[in-house]
Amino acid sequence: MSYRNLFYLLNFGLLASFGVSYVLDFKTEWRGYQNQYFAMAADSLEKDGKHAEAEKMRHQWPEIKQIINKDLDRIDRCTTCHVGMDEYSNPTMKNDFTKNPFKAHPNVAEINGKHPFQKYGCTVCHQGQGMATTVAGAHGRVRNWEQPLLEGQMIQGACARCHDNFEHLKGAEVAAKGKHLFYEHGCQGCHSVRGVGGVISVDLKDIADKPLERIAGYNFSRVKYKGNLLSQDDWTRAHWIMGHLENDPMQVTPNDPMAKFNAEPIAPSGMPNWTEEDATGKREITEEDAEAITTWLMSMSPETKIPREYYVSGPAASEPKLAGAAHGKFVFEKYGCAGCHGLHGSKGRRNFNAKGAGQEMETAKQDEWGDMDKGREPTLVDVVGTYTHEELVKKISNGVKSVDIVKFNPSGPTPPLYMPTWKDKISPAELDDLAAYLMSIAKKQDVGF
Amino acid sequence: MPKLPTLEELKKEVIDSQIWRSVFRGGVWKDTPRDRSAHIIGNVWLHLHPVRVRKRALEWTYTWGLGGISFALFMILTVTGVLLMFYYRPTIDLAYRDIKDLEYAITLGKLMRNMHRWAAQAMVVGVIAHMVSVFLRGAYKKPREFNWSIGVLLLTLTLFLSFTGYLLPWDQLAIWAVTVGTNMAGATPLLGNEGPMGNLVGAHINNDVRFVLLGGTMVGENTLLRFYVMHCVAVPLVVGILLILHFWRIRKDSFSAAPYEPNEDKVEVWPHLVKREYIAAAACLLVMFIWSIWMNAPLEVIANPNVTPNPSKAPWYFVGLQELLVYFDPWIAGVVMPGLIIVGLMAIPYIDTNPKGVGYYAWSERKFANTGFMLGVTMWFVLIAIGYWFRGPNFFWYWPWESWLMIKAAPPLTWNVFGPNATWRLWCTPNLSAFPLWLGIPLVGGAGLASLVLPKLIQKELDGIKANLGVLGGLALIAVIMKLSPLHVSLVKGAWLIVFGWMHFYFGFLLPQRHIRALDWARYLVTMALVLSTTAVLLKMCARLAFDIKYVITIPALSMNI
Repeated sequence: MSYRNLFYLLNFGLLASFGVSYVLDFKTEWRGYQNQYFAMAADSLEKDGKHAEAEKMRHQWPEIKQIINKDLDRIDRCTTCHVGMDEYSNPTMKNDFTKNPFKAHPNVAEINGKHPFQKYGCTVCHQGQGMATTVAGAHGRVRNWEQPLLEGQMIQGACARCHDNFEHLKGAEVAAKGKHLFYEHGCQGCHSVRGVGGVISVDLKDIADKPLERIAGYNFSRVKYKGNLLSQDDWTRAHWIMGHLENDPMQVTPNDPMAKFNAEPIAPSGMPNWTEEDATGKREITEEDAEAITTWLMSMSPETKIPREYYVSGPAASEPKLAGAAHGKFVFEKYGCAGCHGLHGSKGRRNFNAKGAGQEMETAKQDEWGDMDKGREPTLVDVVGTYTHEELVKKISNGVKSVDIVKFNPSGPTPPLYMPTWKDKISPAELDDLAAYLMSIAKKQDVGF
Repeated sequence: MPKLPTLEELKKEVIDSQIWRSVFRGGVWKDTPRDRSAHIIGNVWLHLHPVRVRKRALEWTYTWGLGGISFALFMILTVTGVLLMFYYRPTIDLAYRDIKDLEYAITLGKLMRNMHRWAAQAMVVGVIAHMVSVFLRGAYKKPREFNWSIGVLLLTLTLFLSFTGYLLPWDQLAIWAVTVGTNMAGATPLLGNEGPMGNLVGAHINNDVRFVLLGGTMVGENTLLRFYVMHCVAVPLVVGILLILHFWRIRKDSFSAAPYEPNEDKVEVWPHLVKREYIAAAACLLVMFIWSIWMNAPLEVIANPNVTPNPSKAPWYFVGLQELLVYFDPWIAGVVMPGLIIVGLMAIPYIDTNPKGVGYYAWSERKFANTGFMLGVTMWFVLIAIGYWFRGPNFFWYWPWESWLMIKAAPPLTWNVFGPNATWRLWCTPNLSAFPLWLGIPLVGGAGLASLVLPKLIQKELDGIKANLGVLGGLALIAVIMKLSPLHVSLVKGAWLIVFGWMHFYFGFLLPQRHIRALDWARYLVTMALVLSTTAVLLKMCARLAFDIKYVITIPALSMNI
């Protein structure tokens, strides 16, 4: 090819590629949606006989629309596509369209009334990537955005971020149920929430903002949801939380109990297997419950990220006036004892490699998982009968260190669960009633001493 | 109606106007040699060219236009960089957001960023390729020695420009790549708080060379501002000055190093060279356009100093040095090695006294120089490939087809040969030293000295085949004995011993013995020092892979481990 032809060809190529990149830059999803919206809105105006306004609507020039939330230092461009929710394009904030992104915000009068969109923006509740102007990007379903859109009932988690004591808040029923379930099943026995609760596992105060990098891919790749392994695009915080309730945590986080990869053996996750079914085929926490708990936990963002004036406090539930064993039962639930000892102390949950009563390890099985996963926490109804009231108070006060737990397999890992020292958390009066309650549920010893 | 002028008349009218004539001097273009020369001389930009060049210097296959392409990429980077500066604010609150704006809201913002990113990567490759091609053509030899050294500085600055730009998007990729890179500076001997003897002279985390680079003790607000200023102002200014020097020298040194032939044809630079330059630059720009339309520049989650990705890798062109961290402490892998590479490259024209092979590809006439240089270049890229494609979580070895989601066991425990608290037991005392320092320092020092001078002292030319076979046989014998000994050393380890041991013998002894023993002592010692520090890398890999040795010598009191 002669230089002259090459010269023309390359110049043409440059011009063309500049043209192509300009066209690509111009042919964005949002321009398409906005034009479509203008046409639809113009048609409905036409129907109402407002010809002049319809003409004006039809010939609007598409533009990026944004709401700046100064308190959070956020820019939300959601209304660029969701034009029906933009106060300037659609002053009534209502329309008859049924499909997203055109339809108006549901229940707009109340929600916009109490949380003006122009002040708060969108992502403050819905999450997602407000800056983005593509569908995938804005909904946060891209690898570099860790807060995808909260979908379905999960949005209720957003209410609980600012609304404290939201048990009676309209529209946050699922989150309220999740909160109730969390405390009922004793999750706070191991997981404190903003410093209140047990210290055996992580504080959940910022679990909804947990950096995904902190979750080992090896563990995440084992999480199943509705029976299927998650695709990597679905590795979200919500799925990680739900993964603990919808899978056997011991399978998701097996760690290294045989010391294959580390110098010392490390026990698997100590969290109970909530998918386990009892004799009647029922689960203690159903799938629906699991979603409710996840919904509530999705409200767990560090407080520093939310301006103080955004908080709304509902009426705090007062402690019931009880005494004796009845109060003890309340104390048992308040501190999450059920997390390890089961509802009403009825069945000790598993504790990897903790030697339960009457259990003996077969020597032949000592180089495999063997029966280590059969290890159990004490079943209170069976064991408290062997203590006196004072002994029980002392035991709860001082706890049992994990190194003091008798191991099933001596060369296996330290059991993950242990009895915390409660004397600094449970008041003496509460302790007394708790012991009384425990004595009251102890099975009567028919035989034995 | 007045008669309209024809196109020809109109053109003449415009060109003869006072405005045109004052802007474009030089009368009517008649395309004579005089016109063409005047065109070059009369133009401030073009006159960095000579007026006429020899025809053979214009062959594409001679230089592949690599220097010109590197400059074209530099210009693309300057233009896109200036455009990006209009939108980018270097603060940790705004930087990442501005990148998102470029991606989502600014007209052609994504294209500009992609182009800047990809042209930067291409320029690193282009400049290295330019250096290799200049080396293989022997075009650095007299009188072009100093221009080669300027070229090496420009290569270093290109890498530094790319590195400083790496931080600006303020995502996880950025801060952790820069953390890896700048942590190495903290290992500088004497000047770094973790470097050998650093603490002896009072280097602390808040006053050492890393602190100067970061403007703090960790990558943060000040680092971003510092890197921004270096990236956009300071370094480009220096590069610009050096480029002018580089070009001016090329012009003064008769443009091309190609050897003269009697009655050689010369052609005018306008249009013969200029049109080639234009084509190369336009092709370059077109490739960048297509690449940038095709692929987006990476952007990860916003930077978080509390969350370290596993693995954290340096920018790809430094991953080779990071890979060396598997075998060496940071002060060697991150400071001494790159320092030796830069100084060694700059020294090449002054130690290479071979008068042959100036200005043309000549492997057979420059066996030693070419082999040594290409060994270094190959090692550089092989290490990059290993670090980039074969390292996964915890920087453990993962084959490219293996999933990073799989957990791998840690590599075998290591031991040290010479150090304090000797155990006098070989190979079975993890993390301890086998023999004391008073034995190690003279032994290792003596071995080094012997390797340095031996090739020159043996005056007789060795029989290459016999020597190679002898060494290979000897190494194989050791491998077999190790396998049969009570230690049961695996044959894979034996294979590492044979491969690396032989490479060290061949490149570090046999080749220099054959080719440079006649050099004067000064040049000989410098050359051998450079050759041996290259093969020392191979030897250390051999020690680790075949014998699980962590350090040959460890002196904890000085934070010095080799």
